[in-house]
Amino acid sequence: MLIDFMQREIVVPGDVISEKPEHIENTYIYSNKTYSKVLGIYDAASRSLVPLEGSWKPRREDSVVGIVTEVRNKVYLVDLSYFGKSFIVVGKYDEYAFKEGDIFYGEVKDIESRKNVVIKDAKKLDGGMIIHVKPKKVLRIIGKKSTMVRQISDITGTEIIIGLNGIIWLNGGRMDLAIKTIFKIEQEAHNRGLTDAIKSYLEEEIRKEVI
Amino acid sequence: MGGSSLNKPTLVINGKRTDGRDFNELRKIKITAAPLENASGSAYLEWGNNKILAAVYGPREVNPRHLADSTKAILKCRYAMAPFSSLSEHGRSGPNRRATEISKVVKEVFENAILLSEFPGSQIEIYIEILQGDGGTRAAGITAAAVALATSGIQMRDLPYAVSVGKIGEDLALDFNMIEDNYSDSDVPMAISPRNNEVLLLQMDGHMTKEEMSKAIDMAIDAGKIISAEQRRALKELYELRGESNHLKGE
Amino acid sequence: MEAMDIVEANYIKEIIAKGLRDDGRKAMDYRNIKVTKGVLGNAEGSAQVELGMTKVLAGVKLSIEEPMDDTPNLGNFMVSAELLPLASENYETGPPSPESIELARVVDRGIRAGNCIDLESLLIEEGKVWTVFADIYVLNYDGNLFDAASIAVMSALADTKVPKVENGEAKREERSAKLKLNNIVSSCTFGKFNNTILLDTNASEEKAMDGRITIATDGKAIRAIQKGLKGGFFKNEIEDAMNIALEKHEFLKGVITGE
Repeated sequence: MLIDFMQREIVVPGDVISEKPEHIENTYIYSNKTYSKVLGIYDAASRSLVPLEGSWKPRREDSVVGIVTEVRNKVYLVDLSYFGKSFIVVGKYDEYAFKEGDIFYGEVKDIESRKNVVIKDAKKLDGGMIIHVKPKKVLRIIGKKSTMVRQISDITGTEIIIGLNGIIWLNGGRMDLAIKTIFKIEQEAHNRGLTDAIKSYLEEEIRKEVI
Repeated sequence: MGGSSLNKPTLVINGKRTDGRDFNELRKIKITAAPLENASGSAYLEWGNNKILAAVYGPREVNPRHLADSTKAILKCRYAMAPFSSLSEHGRSGPNRRATEISKVVKEVFENAILLSEFPGSQIEIYIEILQGDGGTRAAGITAAAVALATSGIQMRDLPYAVSVGKIGEDLALDFNMIEDNYSDSDVPMAISPRNNEVLLLQMDGHMTKEEMSKAIDMAIDAGKIISAEQRRALKELYELRGESNHLKGE
Repeated sequence: MEAMDIVEANYIKEIIAKGLRDDGRKAMDYRNIKVTKGVLGNAEGSAQVELGMTKVLAGVKLSIEEPMDDTPNLGNFMVSAELLPLASENYETGPPSPESIELARVVDRGIRAGNCIDLESLLIEEGKVWTVFADIYVLNYDGNLFDAASIAVMSALADTKVPKVENGEAKREERSAKLKLNNIVSSCTFGKFNNTILLDTNASEEKAMDGRITIATDGKAIRAIQKGLKGGFFKNEIEDAMNIALEKHEFLKGVITGE
């Protein structure tokens, strides 16, 4: 893709994004100008402002990974590493029953009172382990059309399920290397050409092991 | 403030201040963004001999729960001087009346700057710890806390900065150090929103004409350009690889 | 905020936007101010202030204490404030709230920076000075506590008589000399509502208020300023507030001295 990288810049809250009022995500309009609300990267070509930091803001259909913390009548309270109350409602045809401490993945069905998250299609994840990453780095860990996560999975042989809420479940293969790689991506998420850089990193690490 | 006339040191020698600065000159300011891992956001700031840590937690669940506001986040703020922070004796731990008041006015600065309605029903906490104090700690603390908030990703209208202006004899002077603070009669800490120069914190005591007050505000806004630039530099530095130019690496 | 408060705040904002106030005043009018001095016998000085329906009592006590290390020839001055639970349904018992600490410290700063009390006259003998304790008691809250408390403390100080000292001890039954004041400081507090600025806000206005600024002057110079709440002020608004505070000084000084 051809992007003039001079047009991409790091902006901070209060920076002017446009001299006229425009509706761009993560901005606000004040006195007929458009200002950034966040520390982020603004791409003038696509007129998008992507936050570099911050907590997860749930939306419908977001895939999430979490832990069941409390079993109540017809409801499982869960921990998504997020400040709002989150729960799975037990439906008529749900095949899985959870107990406290179970790890699951699912999808956001709804957001209540602007902060409480209702989860649907929850499936239990057996074995493996979870790690926490910054939610704003998750999309980079997944990569365009899942290229990034697929290459980690292919090279390490680890099964990886990523929640947009910043919790990642891993199982099998070279889990240690998969985790190290994910944290490396988290650190360098703002860099370009990362998919290739990570590929060489993984191959180098594997090669070292062989020697 | 309004210290004694006993043993009052000379604050101006040959037209320069005790530390060699001009009247409108800031001390050196250096900010490091995100030095702490556990906090949602953090900043470390050295401003002259002031050494300050600021950290942000949240948005997270409100404690105690009945304080929650379903329309917006509530903000909690603590400004505190460490017991070892001053050159004089060991300080009492826990907030005194001065720290309580400063915590309140600092909180009000960030109630303005943070877009609290983005996080209904949650709580955001700001902690400002003065590890070493040398005058102007509230201004330095606000400047650091703004950077800490930005690194937490919390949505804000602006990145406020703060600085104080005082009066030595008949002259206004920017950014008092501790000696100047102790032996001068007027001090005006201010916090300002750089996008529109709105004054978010303003405290004053001493003796100033209204014309001097107007000039003090202008001096703060002028100095703000340097302070804002350092806040931005510290934030952008986080995302630059060592040895690379200011631009992001091209694909 | 309670739902009712939000409804009321919106209503107040609407009428302020129309250039009106809910008690019919103009933007820069004070409510009626009534000062009664000497309302308490045991205190060395006292005054009760009614500012509209806001009622604030100030009591002054003098104690013999050691001077501060760095000011061996000067007396001490200390202001405290209590937002009493009987003054409003929103006040609670317990340790001093940030609001009460701010109130006391802002009143203290204006009077201290204005050199109002002649602290040199409070030296009794080497190692012994009078400490002046001024306590603010808020009895009924109807807005603008800062100005009411400032007037109350200044008036109580103007009412204060210093006890006689015999053998290094206070003889409180005999008070003769008046506490020596060098200066009178008055305080004007303004509320900001979107782009409108009003003097002396009442309780319902304070529910809708975005920002607050207190200017203490002695008629010539600015002695103390405190900006409060989340709303900011632009430079020209601060300048307007300083001008009004300087203009109102003669009137408020008359209220304090009773002249």
